[in-house]
Amino acid sequence: MTQQTWDEVGGLLPHDEFRAASEAIVANIEQVIEGKTATVRLALAVLLAEGHLLIEDVPGVGKTKLAKALARSIDCSVRRIQFTPDLLPSDVTGVSVYNQETHDFEFRPGAVFANLVVGDEINRASPKTQSALLECMEERQVTVDGVTYQLQTPFMVIATQNPIEMEGTYPLPEAQRDRFTARIAMGYPDAGAELAMLDGHGATDPLTELRPVSDAATVRQLIGHVRQVHVADAVKQYAIDLVTATREAPDLRLGASPRATLQLLRTARAVAALEGRDYVLPDDLQALAVPVLAHRIIPTADAQLARRTTDAIVAELVHRLPLPNDRKRSPYDTRPGGTGRGPYEPRRP
Amino acid sequence: MTAHRNLGFVAAAATLLAAAPLSAIFLRWTWLIEAAIVVAVVAGAAALSRLARAPLWGQLIAMLAGLTLGLTWVFPGGTELLAFLPTPSTFAHFGDLLGASMQDMRTYSVKVDDVDSLLFLTVLGVGGVAVLVDVLSVGLRRPALAGLPMLAIYSVPVAVYVDDVPATPFVVGACGFLWLLVTDNVDRVRRFGRRFTGEGRDVDVWEASPLAAAGRRLAVVGVALAVALPLAVPGMTSGLLNAAGNGTGDGNGRPGQGNSGRIDLFAALSGQLKQSTVTELVKVTTNEPAPFYLRFGVADDLRPNGFRDRTPTGRAVNQALTDPTERAGVERQRYRATVEVSKSLNMPLLPVYAQPVKTEDLGRSWRYDTSLQVIFSDRENSRGKRYSFDYVRSTYSPSALRAARSLPTDDPLRRQQTATPGAPAVDQLVRQLVKGKQNDYDKVRAIYDYFSVENGFTYSLSTRDGTSGEDITDFLSTKAGFCQQYAGAMAWLVRAAGIPARVAFGFTNGTRSSGGTYVLTNQNLHAWTEVYFGSGIGWVPFDATPAASVPGSVRSAWAPDTEAPEEATPSTGGAAAPDGADASAGPNSPDRLDKDADQGLSVGDGGPTQQSPVWPWWVAGALALLVLLAVPALRRSALRRRRRVRVAAPPATALAAIPGQRGEVRDIVVGVDADRARADAHAAWDELLDTLVDFQVRVDRTETPRATAERLVQETLTEDAGAVTGVRLLGRAEERARYARDPLAGEELHPALRSVRGALAARADRRTRIMAALLPPSVLLRWRTTVSERSARLVTAGGEVRQRLLRWSPRRLLAGRPAR
Repeated sequence: MTQQTWDEVGGLLPHDEFRAASEAIVANIEQVIEGKTATVRLALAVLLAEGHLLIEDVPGVGKTKLAKALARSIDCSVRRIQFTPDLLPSDVTGVSVYNQETHDFEFRPGAVFANLVVGDEINRASPKTQSALLECMEERQVTVDGVTYQLQTPFMVIATQNPIEMEGTYPLPEAQRDRFTARIAMGYPDAGAELAMLDGHGATDPLTELRPVSDAATVRQLIGHVRQVHVADAVKQYAIDLVTATREAPDLRLGASPRATLQLLRTARAVAALEGRDYVLPDDLQALAVPVLAHRIIPTADAQLARRTTDAIVAELVHRLPLPNDRKRSPYDTRPGGTGRGPYEPRRP
Repeated sequence: MTAHRNLGFVAAAATLLAAAPLSAIFLRWTWLIEAAIVVAVVAGAAALSRLARAPLWGQLIAMLAGLTLGLTWVFPGGTELLAFLPTPSTFAHFGDLLGASMQDMRTYSVKVDDVDSLLFLTVLGVGGVAVLVDVLSVGLRRPALAGLPMLAIYSVPVAVYVDDVPATPFVVGACGFLWLLVTDNVDRVRRFGRRFTGEGRDVDVWEASPLAAAGRRLAVVGVALAVALPLAVPGMTSGLLNAAGNGTGDGNGRPGQGNSGRIDLFAALSGQLKQSTVTELVKVTTNEPAPFYLRFGVADDLRPNGFRDRTPTGRAVNQALTDPTERAGVERQRYRATVEVSKSLNMPLLPVYAQPVKTEDLGRSWRYDTSLQVIFSDRENSRGKRYSFDYVRSTYSPSALRAARSLPTDDPLRRQQTATPGAPAVDQLVRQLVKGKQNDYDKVRAIYDYFSVENGFTYSLSTRDGTSGEDITDFLSTKAGFCQQYAGAMAWLVRAAGIPARVAFGFTNGTRSSGGTYVLTNQNLHAWTEVYFGSGIGWVPFDATPAASVPGSVRSAWAPDTEAPEEATPSTGGAAAPDGADASAGPNSPDRLDKDADQGLSVGDGGPTQQSPVWPWWVAGALALLVLLAVPALRRSALRRRRRVRVAAPPATALAAIPGQRGEVRDIVVGVDADRARADAHAAWDELLDTLVDFQVRVDRTETPRATAERLVQETLTEDAGAVTGVRLLGRAEERARYARDPLAGEELHPALRSVRGALAARADRRTRIMAALLPPSVLLRWRTTVSERSARLVTAGGEVRQRLLRWSPRRLLAGRPAR
């Protein structure tokens, strides 16, 4: 198995090539998932940000389809784990079995030994099994019986789960959730997209006809390109401000981790690159704050009682947080009913 | 109950403290001892009744009974049982005392000796106040209201002392009132059982309760208002503030502002004459064909600092006034006049024609001083008064005056009224003037004629006030002055010649409206000289001020106009009038006055300008205001120009191509040019934000440039394609300047800015546009932000200092005491 470390990913791609490659992947996935361009791009951004994706939504909106479509669009090793309550950690990571022929223990790699790992219904497995993913997702390695095995590059876990209120689910532990770069929701398709889906999916499953448009090497190059995206100091400061705000928000019991800061910025780079920019904007961070931060934080009991979702809390933080004063900025904040930072209230016409 | 008893005694003590101002009335302190006894009895009665849990009316009866017993013991009538139980004859005695006190109040002047009747009145009053204060503060628990009866005590010396009331007793009384308030509140707070601090945290005993902060703030604001308000309200400058402000008396106050029987007539006069506005003061109707001046005051007390008026004394005007006796050579004619004083003239003197013999519609409080010939009052003032009087007009023939004998040198009048502080230059001048003159009239005429235009005297209002020796000498040398200097100088010179003289104040004849009615304004206020002639002739008026300069001036046969050829002016034909009324209108007949009325006092021949014109000040003030108003707009346009220079400067075009890491070529703007482009973009963006604020479009600090631009496109600039492109360009430029490696270069930001501004202006309503041009909100907002930031920093620093100072608070020493 060819092992490739993360430092050996491809370097800077010419701009056009990056654009062509990324657009091809997005277009390919969109053959299957209609009318969800933003979600698809975000999923691709997570891949390019070397992160892992958690798709959370009610059953039947295409979570698994998105995961599989992404996996199939890239010509690389794909493994799928169907998480069930009786799934064991060794099924995920691999197990050493005794080979009678060689009279020795032999390592049988688990499902995570692939470029893309689709973990379906991840919260239907017990926390014990879920935790098996901890090491491989962050450190990209598996340790079994004291032996450490490196995972392939690129490596991405795409997990789907039902909302935790659903029956027969085990909520993911915080540590596990923190390892997912972003949590996205599919949402219901709009009317036109749903009609197109009925037409397209009536006879055959388009997934079976999906052909790869990229391969692991290209993805590595794309990742290398993303790494080169410029992040200004002000943007870094803004990311820190955002994460700090979650730690200080009175509604939150647990704020986002430093890992979250890192992944927020990485994903922002990927998003910026996908949009054809070579620099990150605060807009990217604002757009990513909810997908990247909301699943990591825990609201206080009061906020829970008030039925404030973490999404809403993060969105409000973004709305309230001023941009960092990277230079002597004007002191304006004239939003009506805003944070009260600015003294000026405009007359409404 | 303990608290109540305590409060009751505090109320009694506070009453006694509040009575302190009465010390200004009495010579000795007997009143205080007696009042203390009575108040103590009242307080004791109140305490006893409360001990018996009597209802409020019971307490009131007990206190009144205590007051009666106390008064009976202190002022026995002789028929009391056991020396303190009153009998009917005691009350009759009280009645007598009260009646006598009314009489004595008029008879005695302050400070009074221990007169039984006045003592009785005082003690009764203080005792009554003690009862009221007790009922209000203990019975009704409204100690603040108890301040009113206490203040009533203070009003007594205020009414008596027309000049000034010593401040210390008032402070003592106020302290008593504060003591009462504090005691009441301490009692109130103690009823909570524990210290109530309002905050959740524990407050140390030595620390002031945070609740008290609001009270302190209120108190500071209240005191500040109380001090600032009278300063801000025009006219309320008398009293304490005035005394503190200027020692020379109010320069432009109305005559007799305040309730003073003695006023600085000179200061009032010059102040009124120099006023630019014309205020109607008096309207007088007389059946005399050509009356002499209406007169209200006299200054005959010559001190080194000039003529001063004395406190007048005399009998009530509604008693018969003396009718001047007939004398040979003196024509006396009886006339009748009605005077209406307007609300603007406010003084304890009434203007009348000399010499009143009978008055109507005047109360008992108006009295007539026969020697000064003025009507005055200690209690009332002239404001809005309307009254009629009969008067006798004396006209003197020069020959009769010439025949009048001089007063003997030991005559008290002559001794008093010829005293001068002595000024060598004046004395020499007088000696020179009267040399060879045989009789008083000739001497006076010589002096009178000296103040003529031929001698170089000119009328001028712009000279310094005052009639002190120095002022008179100045006047005699500069020879420029107005009526008060003329009158004062002539009186001084006549006195120096050994003839009694004084300065009279009043009105010239002003504007004749119809029939015998004259309307007199502040511009008609005047001063002239009166000279005493013996042989029963009395005070004879001489007006030395040039008649041409004084509207409504009147000349007489014995004192003709020095400027006019004698007996030749058309209107001195009146001198030849068959009735012999020599007091005739001078050249300044009412007809001519009409012309001059608008100009106020007209300028004398070749005289210097009396009043500096007012309009330059108005123009300067208006200009200053305009400049002040224009400052924000100027600041804004300067800012815009500076930014435009930035933005309009040739954009950074020098692009350098450097090889990228992987061999490809990346276009970048290098070095200075990149910085330049960044700064340009920032300037353009700042200008855009300022423009937004100016046109009252909201600006959001949480929005990125891109989001702001998109919001503008969506919400504000929907129709204007040029502006949409412009604002997007500006957003992109700013975004790249802030966040990208290389700023956007080679774009013209200024046209974009202009199109956006145009679109915003087109969309805004007119008011917004005008405000954006004249008072740009962006500048105002920036200033306001700066001010608020500075003040916040100041408050923070103040808080730190306070915290540090609190460490030294003596109240910490109380910490050992358990909190109640």
